Amino acid sequence: MRQKSNIKQVVSYIGMLLYIICLFQIENAKAQANQEQADTLSGYYKEIPLKTFVGARATLLNEQLNTTPANSYLPAMTGRLPGFYTKQNSGFRQTSTARNYESGIGGNVPMVGQGVPSENTEYSIALRRQIPVVIVDGVQRDIFSIDPDNIESITLLKDALSTIELGQRSSRGILLVTTKRPEMGKTNINFRAQLALQEPLPWPKPLEPYQFAYLLNEAMTNVGNQPVYSVDDFNAFRAGNDPYRYPNVNWYDEVFRSNAPMMRYNLSAKGGNSVSQYAIALNYTDQQGLFKEDPNVAYNTNSSLKRYVINTNVNINITPKFKLGLQMTGRIQDGNEPGIGTQNLLESVKKTPNGAYPVRNADASWASTNYFQTNVVALATHSGYRQDNMKDIMANINLNYDLNSLLSGLKARAMTNIAVQSLTGIVRQRSEPTYNMGITPAGDTVYNIMATASAQTNDFNTVFNARFWFTQLALDYDKSWSNNHLVATVQADQRRTLYNFDLPAVATNATTKLVYDYKEKYLAHAALNASGFNRYRPGYQYGLFYAFGLGWVASEEDFMKDNTSWINHLKLRGVFGKTGNGVDNAGYYDYRATFTASNGGIGSGAYSAGTSRSELRGFWENGFLPNIRTWEGAYKLNVGVDMSLFGGKIDFTGDVYYDQYYDLLQSRGKSIELIGISYPYENIGRSEVKGAEFNLAYRGGEGDFQYFIAPNLTIEQTKLSYFDEQRQRFPWQQMTGLPLGVRMGYIADGIIQNQQEAEEAASTIGYEVSPGDIRYRDLNGDGIINQFDRTAISTTKPLIYYGLNLGFSYKGLSFSALIQGVGNRDLYLDDRAIYGGFLGFGGFEQAYPAILDRWTPETAATATYPRLTIGNSHNYAESSFWIRSGNYVRLKNVQVAYSFSPQWMNKMRLSGLTVFANAMNLATWSAFDGQDPEVAIGSYPIQRVINFGLNLDL
Amino acid sequence: MMNKIKYTMLLGGIALAILGTASCKKDYEAEPLENVTIDYVFDPLDSLGINAGRYLNGLYADMFPRDVSMNRISGNLLEAATDNAIPSNLEDNPAGRLLQGQYSAFDRIESDMVWGQLYENIRSATIFINNIDVVPLNDSKFEALPTGLTVKRTWKAEARFLRALAYFELLKRYGGIPLMGNDARSLDDQIELPRNSYSDCVDYIVSEMDAIRDSLLYYPVPNPSRNSHRATKGAAMALKVRVLLYAASPLFNGGNIDGANPVTGYTALDNNRWQRAADAAKEVIDLGTYALVDDVRKVFTEQYNSEILFFKQWSNNRDIENTNGPFGFGTQIGGQGQTSPTQELVDAFPMANGVPIDQSTTYDPNNPYVGRDPRFYETILYNGARWLGTNLQTYLGGQNRPGGSDLQTRTSYYMKKLMGDFEEAAQYSESQRDYILFRYTEVVLNYIEALNEAQGPVSEVLAQLKDLRRRAGVDAGDDGNFGLPTSANKATMRELIQNERRIELAFEEHRYWDIRRWKIAENKLNLPLHGMQILENGGQFTYSQEEVFQPRFTTAMYLYPIPDSEVLKNNNMEQNPGWN
Repeated sequence: MRQKSNIKQVVSYIGMLLYIICLFQIENAKAQANQEQADTLSGYYKEIPLKTFVGARATLLNEQLNTTPANSYLPAMTGRLPGFYTKQNSGFRQTSTARNYESGIGGNVPMVGQGVPSENTEYSIALRRQIPVVIVDGVQRDIFSIDPDNIESITLLKDALSTIELGQRSSRGILLVTTKRPEMGKTNINFRAQLALQEPLPWPKPLEPYQFAYLLNEAMTNVGNQPVYSVDDFNAFRAGNDPYRYPNVNWYDEVFRSNAPMMRYNLSAKGGNSVSQYAIALNYTDQQGLFKEDPNVAYNTNSSLKRYVINTNVNINITPKFKLGLQMTGRIQDGNEPGIGTQNLLESVKKTPNGAYPVRNADASWASTNYFQTNVVALATHSGYRQDNMKDIMANINLNYDLNSLLSGLKARAMTNIAVQSLTGIVRQRSEPTYNMGITPAGDTVYNIMATASAQTNDFNTVFNARFWFTQLALDYDKSWSNNHLVATVQADQRRTLYNFDLPAVATNATTKLVYDYKEKYLAHAALNASGFNRYRPGYQYGLFYAFGLGWVASEEDFMKDNTSWINHLKLRGVFGKTGNGVDNAGYYDYRATFTASNGGIGSGAYSAGTSRSELRGFWENGFLPNIRTWEGAYKLNVGVDMSLFGGKIDFTGDVYYDQYYDLLQSRGKSIELIGISYPYENIGRSEVKGAEFNLAYRGGEGDFQYFIAPNLTIEQTKLSYFDEQRQRFPWQQMTGLPLGVRMGYIADGIIQNQQEAEEAASTIGYEVSPGDIRYRDLNGDGIINQFDRTAISTTKPLIYYGLNLGFSYKGLSFSALIQGVGNRDLYLDDRAIYGGFLGFGGFEQAYPAILDRWTPETAATATYPRLTIGNSHNYAESSFWIRSGNYVRLKNVQVAYSFSPQWMNKMRLSGLTVFANAMNLATWSAFDGQDPEVAIGSYPIQRVINFGLNLDL
Repeated sequence: MMNKIKYTMLLGGIALAILGTASCKKDYEAEPLENVTIDYVFDPLDSLGINAGRYLNGLYADMFPRDVSMNRISGNLLEAATDNAIPSNLEDNPAGRLLQGQYSAFDRIESDMVWGQLYENIRSATIFINNIDVVPLNDSKFEALPTGLTVKRTWKAEARFLRALAYFELLKRYGGIPLMGNDARSLDDQIELPRNSYSDCVDYIVSEMDAIRDSLLYYPVPNPSRNSHRATKGAAMALKVRVLLYAASPLFNGGNIDGANPVTGYTALDNNRWQRAADAAKEVIDLGTYALVDDVRKVFTEQYNSEILFFKQWSNNRDIENTNGPFGFGTQIGGQGQTSPTQELVDAFPMANGVPIDQSTTYDPNNPYVGRDPRFYETILYNGARWLGTNLQTYLGGQNRPGGSDLQTRTSYYMKKLMGDFEEAAQYSESQRDYILFRYTEVVLNYIEALNEAQGPVSEVLAQLKDLRRRAGVDAGDDGNFGLPTSANKATMRELIQNERRIELAFEEHRYWDIRRWKIAENKLNLPLHGMQILENGGQFTYSQEEVFQPRFTTAMYLYPIPDSEVLKNNNMEQNPGWN
């Protein structure tokens, strides 16, 4: 009976489903790459008209961002924007719970000049080799923790002219984030819900205990020591039937789960009439980490991120001439991690051998050993937790007033922004006792305590507390006469930051900008900026910066219009300017000769008096010599071309640039230690960055089927032009003239195969080479490998990175994918735990399968790693032996979406419904397969994310 | 129209309001006042010199070694880089690298190859010396000083002592080094200075000590509970003795590794240098204020005893026991056994009657730890020694040498010196510890060494040696000679004094420098170092010596390499021989 009703139910469900499907009339959907052909671009202070734009930029719209399942917008940028390079360092954010003050007898002592900790702890980013200034809705703040769903567009501004208004921050380029803007029209309510599963990418597979025992013995014998394990030990490990004395625990499996969910909900509303428009968004993100939890523990010990954002945007036309824009953002973000700290836990997982100890002893106590005194699983689930809590409020007012009555074409702008941000940390850390199980000669089982319990702490720390204040006044003058058109802007602003205990940092800018065009065909721009910062020595606080640009819209010429109808748009453009990089590298008034006091006690630096050892305070000269330090400068040239061909089927943008940075801060070459104090940073160095960036989009299709292919490519070459390098004895030691960040080391010539070769080989000082060691090239031929044999060992070829965006749509179905890759990149295998193993020496730490390919007399022909040793200064010296290709290609992002037809929507009184599935890091092809090409083993792993969602418009 | 005016006014008002707040209302100071400048530290108005006094404390705090731990070579004793001991952990630790010469001008062992840090000390002291005069110190506001001293004079002399001490630490490591004089240089000053000759450096330190000795407090200082840490006349004189002793030693006097190079040592032998050293030492002895402590262990665990001439403040701790105590007592009690004393050191201890083991009739290689010099039992923990209420088991497989991967002795010995009385204790407790830099025993040993070199084995030498052995508890014997030969020649006596120094000052950071200045490191540190392998069978032990470490020593290693970067940047800086 019951069964019958179930069947009935199923049948009715299927029927309903069929009915629904029949209802749908599958409609055309826009292919995603159909970029809106907008006339203007959201700028950081005002709209940028694109027709007269002569700079270098790259833009991403919401549709390209929101296919990436991530909690911030950075992951969505990888591979999509030429000139923008990212490298992921960690698969999860780091919580910051450390306090920013020291405690002394006199109370809490501020630590000055610490700077706001970055929100971005997962990615290294670079825009033409500089870390871009992030501007979110006109506010210069390094805000990354925003859901991509809330963002209308992201634009990179790369040339001198586009950034000149930032004055002393203009060298670095701009990453401009614009959140969703108000739009006039009927109210649109959008709801978007997504659920993602995150699973870690390549999982390290540590050695089995018997392999570990065998290889450790081999390493010990190789360096003339007694083996650690006996044959019986080896056999017992291999048999694996004594889980207490010969355990085999894969700590990765014990600590990590196979996947973790992330949920994101976004509710937004937009609308308005001619008087007022609004855009409101509520966003909730809940990302959970990969650590396992113990159901018996009452609180969350996993890594996690919970974020709530409210963003309100209102535009009011108070009168036709007076417009007011108001934006308010509130953000609360709570991070969590195991009490021991994620990094410490990952470190323990990485270094504890599978055979070190069982999870629990026979009596169910936590197991450990004399060397590994803590238990990895106890650390993961029973060490309490740490939380960081961020509170963030931001208010932004824009006023625009039309002063036509005063002077035709004159407008006034005012903008002010205030923000408060604070981050606090809670540390509730504890530990449980661990025991080492042993068997006495009499055969009794004994438990020796290794680590004692400690009660839970309850520390509250203020990580930082900041107030930001920005204000700007500007006049815009827009004048056309006959075919001429001129826009002139005068603008002044001040950015004031109050950070913790520091004195306010005040950056001031005054800019004049002229934009002229003739028939929108010949374009000329010029800008002048004076920029100051109050933390430089008086007299060195201000800088003058300028930029100018020229453009020629060839497609507007009659001869082009007439003869080449397949060219719809062709613009040639160029910008040159002088920019600055200061403010953030100004230090904290260290041009003054100052002294620092201590608060007493050995450890904090002072001395204790007499036999009573009563604490004495101390005074010391501060770390730097008084100096003159000011902003760094740059000359930047950018030349580019924009093309649109065959009625918009092909879009092409190409840029080449040559940026010369000068007055770079560094210690002087003659920083001789005899002076007895640290040398300050001075404006000394010079470097060059040049490159080429291409972006192509091809759109095609017929009828319901539309597709696009959009490749982009960046080539980037750098040069360290000058850094006051001192005379080197041999030319190959010289670094000047090489690319930035080049790695110096010995050149490895393979592995020494026999005793005769060992005797012939040059050796590092004090070391006797044996067969199986690395042979280094003795560049100066003195028989010793030392600093004179060091030379550039990393690649000096230009860095290449690229992306291929492609997709199609067929009726309601759409598909897009992003393939992204990097070339001419080196990977340096400097993790001795993975590529050498057995660190520690007071006990021996975990080893990984890489060392299975070690050199032994038997495997001499095929060995890829040197012979096993315990500690070895020769083989692990910095050398080309450990360089691998870091090239890779990733299937970074894929999305499949289905939009239901409007007809059906109307019936359901909905404006739109889309269901979608997307994924990140689906597949990777890497030149070196020992690890992920970006995130190293031992960091929080990079993840493959598969995400399902729906998008509902009301 | 009205509206327009209203809004224009509103806009203007907002603009003015913004400008108003942005303009010059002074809520904050223009420069951070908490970062004080020099006139605050050396305050011309403060007759108590509060901040200047604190600056002087800072000089003491920064004094070498900054890391107040005996195990300052990355967890090891410096002694573990000599023939007295080896590090218990394996290769690739800094002490092992020092022993094997695995370092270069580029890849230095920073924990002992200090350079810039000592020049920081020199600069800091010079700033004090140059500026203290502006502080109107009023002696009547301080506790009473011995007659003839003033606070300012004493303070300044202490800073000069600390500066000279930093120079000496440089001198013994590198040979002649640039002398900075009385300038604290700024960014625009010429800093490409050449090295001064070895002889200049010695003369400078000696003249400084002669100049300040009578401006310092002397032992016992008034109110030791507040002042015992301060440099005294005795400390200054002891530094002078050590400088002169090193300068008279073969490495610098007659054995210059670079022949006629004046920076690496004297260019010619002059035996009178020994006499100068002996005279300086005699002066300290003649002060009559310092004396040997009866129970030598108390020297290291009792504050401000009569042997201590100068020390760096440490604390009440169990640091030495934790790091060097025998392995095998579990984590609750502790003991990492970092240091493995060598068989060479063990064999250096004579028998209880003072006779060396190779000349003794009672020494039994099958029972080697019976009837030895009492200092042996105070210095070494061996198989069967009482410790923490048990008899240590350092035979293979024993509780304190179980094998496996844990850190433990490699020689079957552990260090005992410097530790407290824990033979019968259940666990370690804290001891009052200072990091002793100069003690009286060293002065005596310096004296007899210099005297023997200058005048031969005169009776004074023998008398002082007997005093040392008497204190140590060696049997005087029927002839009252403590096993000392009565008719030794200079060379035999030299051997004897060197051996006495080795065992008296073991684990006190002397051996490392002594084998260098005697120029015997090239012999001692090219031979394999040994440990004992003890097998247990039914309560019976069999002993066999085994090689445990092969050190390497080359002539270049007599002096440390100057940092490569210093030579690269400074066109006048000369690298030590063999390090280019």
